[in-house]
Amino acid sequence: MTDYRQYFLEKILPRLEKPTRYLGNEVNAISKDHGKCTQRVALAFPDLYEVGMSHLGLKILYYIINKEERWLAERVFMPGADLEDILLREKIPLCSLETTTPLGEFDLLGFTLQYELSYATVLQMLKLSGIPVDAAARGDADPLVVGGGPCAFNPEPLADFFDFFIIGDAEEALPEVLRMLERHPGLSRREKLQKIQAVRGVYVPSFYKEIRDEDGTYRKTVPLLPSLPARVKRALVADLDKAPYPTDFIVPYGSIIHDRMVLELFRGCTRGCRFCQAGIIYRPVRERKKETLLALARKMVRSTGYEEMALSSLSSGDYSAIDELAAELGRELAKEGVSLSLPSLRLDSFSEEMTRDLQRVRKSGLTFAPEAGTQRLRDVINKNIREEDLLQAVGKAFAAGWTRVKLYFMIGLPTETDEDLAAIARLVRRVVAVYREAGNRGRPQATVSASVFVPKAHTPFQWVGQISRQEMLRRQELLRRALRIPGVQFQWHDADASILEAALARGGRELIPVIRQAADLGCKLDGWDEYFDIARWQRAFSENGLNLFACAEKRFRPEDPLPWDHLDAGVTKKYLLREFRRALKGETTPDCREGCLGCGMALLLPDDAGKGVCTVADLD
Amino acid sequence: MRIWIKFSKDGLLRFLSHLDLLRLWQRALRRAGLPVAYSRGFNPHPRLSFASALPVGIASRAEYADLEFREEISAGDIERLKSALPSGIDIVRWRRVPARAPSLMSLVRACLWTVPLPAGDLNRHLERLQLSDELPVRRKTKKGEKIIDIKPHIYSLEADGKGKRLEMLLACGSEGSAKPVEVLALLPLQWDTAGLLRTEILLAAGDCLQAPMHVLLKEKEVSLNAEEDYYQLRK
Repeated sequence: MTDYRQYFLEKILPRLEKPTRYLGNEVNAISKDHGKCTQRVALAFPDLYEVGMSHLGLKILYYIINKEERWLAERVFMPGADLEDILLREKIPLCSLETTTPLGEFDLLGFTLQYELSYATVLQMLKLSGIPVDAAARGDADPLVVGGGPCAFNPEPLADFFDFFIIGDAEEALPEVLRMLERHPGLSRREKLQKIQAVRGVYVPSFYKEIRDEDGTYRKTVPLLPSLPARVKRALVADLDKAPYPTDFIVPYGSIIHDRMVLELFRGCTRGCRFCQAGIIYRPVRERKKETLLALARKMVRSTGYEEMALSSLSSGDYSAIDELAAELGRELAKEGVSLSLPSLRLDSFSEEMTRDLQRVRKSGLTFAPEAGTQRLRDVINKNIREEDLLQAVGKAFAAGWTRVKLYFMIGLPTETDEDLAAIARLVRRVVAVYREAGNRGRPQATVSASVFVPKAHTPFQWVGQISRQEMLRRQELLRRALRIPGVQFQWHDADASILEAALARGGRELIPVIRQAADLGCKLDGWDEYFDIARWQRAFSENGLNLFACAEKRFRPEDPLPWDHLDAGVTKKYLLREFRRALKGETTPDCREGCLGCGMALLLPDDAGKGVCTVADLD
Repeated sequence: MRIWIKFSKDGLLRFLSHLDLLRLWQRALRRAGLPVAYSRGFNPHPRLSFASALPVGIASRAEYADLEFREEISAGDIERLKSALPSGIDIVRWRRVPARAPSLMSLVRACLWTVPLPAGDLNRHLERLQLSDELPVRRKTKKGEKIIDIKPHIYSLEADGKGKRLEMLLACGSEGSAKPVEVLALLPLQWDTAGLLRTEILLAAGDCLQAPMHVLLKEKEVSLNAEEDYYQLRK
């Protein structure tokens, strides 16, 4: 083993623009002796430090693995351009942060796949580390490369680059994999994969084959061995309250995107917004008890010293004891000079008292997501909030002294018309008017943000195509003109980035050579404007006989097989189709806490699961 | 209760910016559970400041924090703070100061720096510097580039007893300053700037300069403690 640490710290670090990203010795970072550990895991986030360090999943896995004395987990992120150049020029492999160990020397290299725009970066990180990009080319000495996170629910575009994926919650599945590998040392790569594929949630893509018609139309994906399941079930943590959760978060030196403690209230969401992938793949709702959360929060403050805590979930107002929790936590944290923030609050669960508890220390802006301008379109997407909800919530906030408000919308949703866009502007004008009605002078600072709808696998909208580029630009312009309102700032997302996201999100294995070539052409960090170059991606698509735009706009018929059909997220295709049809008719579906809708999730739960929403299901 | 703390900033932590250091201290104070006083207003912030910003990448044996607490704190509290701080930031000493003493930052007049001496004829260059009437350097400011004469801000430059290091006493603070790298750039030798080290920060005490741990403090008055080391400035 070459010792890169000293050379890196002495010779390379002083030349870097942001050295604090790479020190690896932040408060609560864990460095273990590699010689004393049986399972050495590198946890990679395919983006820059500031983004990757903001991600909760990574913190959870770091904690769970390092908790075991004989296992170790270290972090690695995509290096900045300056360090990347030095590594390439000096032929130094990409190393972990904590001990500057080359990634190739770990037993397992895990990538979290949070968004499609990070795919090329995964390949760049493999290349920088000298690990063969293609799983088939790796030898017994190379680490097993595993992917997880939301994109693992349709990992087919990455199938050749990963040895296996963990689909679903990894906090029990990953340790199970590690225990298995630990019990059977000295196995060949293939033998290892054969062993671990038995763990629930593990999907080994090389054990499955994609079958296509002669014209390239996707037919199905089938297991190559008779012992393999035809459909891979996702991993599921049945009792979140008992699941391990970190309190000793690593505290970065420099500022990162979300620089704060994160308290995960619950996983899953019962609202059933039809565009939302997270709302499907994290089902069912599993809460942590209030007492558990309070205890975690206290420990976190002591171990990190952070000045802010965020309550995290897909819809925090839906937490069953949100008012008590916010009040108790707000009171306790205020004594320590710690502020509490609630990033995902639904409009209809907004209460003045609660936000007062939340903002005891610092008053930041409030964010609301009506998503669409008309009730008709909100019904189509099943975002069951009304205009009155928004105006009332905003009114309360303005009356309580807030002046900044941020409103999120989506354009290009199925069935959207120009009338829906015009309605966004009308809604925003009413919000501005409410500010004065609440007794304020002047005008509020309102930011309106419009992203482009991207259809995702495992959602009721998985069958629809994205709107064309031309149409995107036209609708953005329409909205931009309509939103020329004093005091209102309009932000819109890059159309091209949304197109690439859509093209990758619903693809199959035909995209493997495209991504390989995009990386060869230098694509990386595509979520960043300064790196993203659509022309290179277009070239990668066309040189592999595909059209980027056609891939994004691709529509499936309900009877078409889908490239992710063999991956069981728990919600049945039948249910998704039913939801899709209701959407097109403008019919809403109630929150499933009001009664089970038979989405299929309950079937995936073990019999001994705690008292969650799904265990009281009455299935049709 | 108000205190001044002397600490070192060394090793990898020399790469922390002034803002990074501020955040690190705030969080260490919370981890140690110390009752820091907060400013009033819309966005309360802890009453914590440093004597003088240190350039990123340069180590120091003598940094100073000026801190206010809501309650009395004990030596045991400081021990807890010591263990809450990462290694590289090490508390050397601390003292209680009067609540109404001027801010530490406003009292800073000079800094002592040391850097390893490279081979070459240092004396010849030092002589040239001494004989010149002015030493203009280009300095980037918020408003653009400016030419500044740093001659009056160089108090002394001399090799240490063993001839191994150059010791520099340079003005620092609101009344003008000379930066160590600016001075080294005027001495055309192969300097190893990574070996540059701040060894002391000095406050105005009457006509003299003295370290924060040594000056006498009474109410708002700062005066010389003649029993400890001090520097007399040549007129």
